[in-house]
Amino acid sequence: MQIDQKMAGDIMVVHITGDITLNQGGDVLLKDKIQSLLQQGHKKLVLDLGGVAYVDSAGLGQLVQIHATAKNQGGSLRLANVTKKLKDLLVVTKLVTVFDSYDSEKEALASFS
Amino acid sequence: MDARLQVTDSNGRRVVPVDKAIFLIGRRTAADLQLVNADVSREHAEIARDGMRYLLRDRGSRYGTFVNGEQVTERALEHGDRIRLGRTDAIELVFMTEASASTHASGLREIGSDADLRQMAAILNGLRALGSGRVLEDVLTLVLDSALDVTKADRGFIMLARADGELEFKTARGRGRITLPGTSFNTSSKIPREVFQTGESRIVGDLMDGNLAGMHEGTIAIGIRHVLCVPLSVHPMAASPDQGIAARVIGVLYLDGRERSTILSQATRSSLEAFATQAALAIESARLYAEAAEKARIERDLLVAAQIQQALLPAGSYETAFADLAAASVPCRTVGGDFFDYIDLGARGFGFGLGDVAGKGAPAALLAAAVQSNFIAQAPVSADPADTLTRVNNALLRRAIEARFATMFHGVIALDGRLSYSNGGQEPPLVLGRSQTSWLETGGPVLGLLPGATYEYDTVTLSPGDLVVICSDGVTEARNFAGEEFGRERLIEVTEGLHGAKPDMVLERLFEAVRKFSQGTAQGDDITGLVLRYRGNPT
Repeated sequence: MQIDQKMAGDIMVVHITGDITLNQGGDVLLKDKIQSLLQQGHKKLVLDLGGVAYVDSAGLGQLVQIHATAKNQGGSLRLANVTKKLKDLLVVTKLVTVFDSYDSEKEALASFS
Repeated sequence: MDARLQVTDSNGRRVVPVDKAIFLIGRRTAADLQLVNADVSREHAEIARDGMRYLLRDRGSRYGTFVNGEQVTERALEHGDRIRLGRTDAIELVFMTEASASTHASGLREIGSDADLRQMAAILNGLRALGSGRVLEDVLTLVLDSALDVTKADRGFIMLARADGELEFKTARGRGRITLPGTSFNTSSKIPREVFQTGESRIVGDLMDGNLAGMHEGTIAIGIRHVLCVPLSVHPMAASPDQGIAARVIGVLYLDGRERSTILSQATRSSLEAFATQAALAIESARLYAEAAEKARIERDLLVAAQIQQALLPAGSYETAFADLAAASVPCRTVGGDFFDYIDLGARGFGFGLGDVAGKGAPAALLAAAVQSNFIAQAPVSADPADTLTRVNNALLRRAIEARFATMFHGVIALDGRLSYSNGGQEPPLVLGRSQTSWLETGGPVLGLLPGATYEYDTVTLSPGDLVVICSDGVTEARNFAGEEFGRERLIEVTEGLHGAKPDMVLERLFEAVRKFSQGTAQGDDITGLVLRYRGNPT
């Protein structure tokens, strides 16, 4: 799993490439990344999942966790480019309402204004 | 050239000039050469200058004076003579008059090569013993004792790198083959870290020197001033000599002492580096051996855990007056994170559930046991399936483990065929009716993740022969060689025409289909299924 970040105005965009799974430690990597961004004072976060092929249950748990962490620290984490596969998973687990998710990064960014 | 004595004792080696007409050797403070040893008398012997000669005289000592092993009362000394005071070799005196060892084959060089030979012998002993070491602690102790023998240092430590890259004291030994008590010691922390990082040995002649003193007050306070630290590096086997594979530093060997002794000599350093290479290999192999043994133990534990887990699951088939079921769970590792259970709820009917904990292996198995026991405890006291899931969710949140959750389906089938159910994020179960199929989707989010999550329940009415097929996602997400998933469509295909069939037969057919589908690929997840058949109201 690869994590890239860039600023778009005052919004931090985190781009994930690869699987978010327990086996590859991706779940913990992602958590640490978001934690450190929050600590650096980034409160508006967009998680671009366009490059994510597979999320396992541990990865899903971690997504919910970082969403809650951001919220608890006065921030907001929004998802962009959620693949169909992940959307199906969110629907089955009925977690779809937990997240603010957008079809594109542009829409996710616009949602902050 | 002036006469002098080379003195080797517990304080190390030094050269003392014989610069008086009568040169007194003894234990008393006023002696020209004061030697502290039980065998040395207060006034033991003297060296008197007699023209060009030097005469050694015993002054009536208790334990005698010896020259080249022979007891003497008076003897004219020659260059290279060895003088022994008392019964032991604890103190060695060599009388010298000539300029350097190079003019004569005796004297200094002999002593030097003698010491080198002793070093080599100690190293060889150490290496021989290392080969037979299996227990890490034994190997570490052996390495240190040999290193102390070679260097005559006061203390020796082995620090090994932990997984996080920090050095950790493993063994501490003092001269005389004693283990130093405690887990942390007054040593430099900067020197070992530098040696560990650079892989280069370091000799520090005097901690009092320069900018090191401030950092080593604790060490200096106990009199330690001289340090020799060498890396313990493992050189991986290369396929060919020119194939460069970097050595891996696994820790450091750290020696220190109050006296300069031999710690600071270049010869000691090279011998010790050679020794450290062998020692590192021995340490690494002992460590791998210990790891393998530990792994075998964990595997045994897991096998027992797997037996316990199977025992926690109820029987794979059950029959009530109006319904029967079959269920099975095949973990992809030794233990799994899936579970199923069922319970008679009296007038409300017959309750059953199937769940799946996020993750695999032992962590998932522990959580699965907790979810299962919560479920079985809450189901009888709940008003309906949604109430049960709400209670289980709250119970799990009280002991929340970060980012760990479970999915679970829970249904209650009544005598008259009414099935009430709530689905907590579980792959929707299939209802196989006589002429149609449907999915049981009503419920709420996964369990153990969201405080205050709400769950709903729905009721459907089953006719005699209708089947409810519940699977964990290990079934629907099983992959074939081409990477395709088993999916819900195949679930329908496999169960087609099985309306009214015995649950164990349906379950067997399903598992067989999954096996065939994913042939040649490794099972990626725990596979669990439960099939319930409504048989009709017997009254």
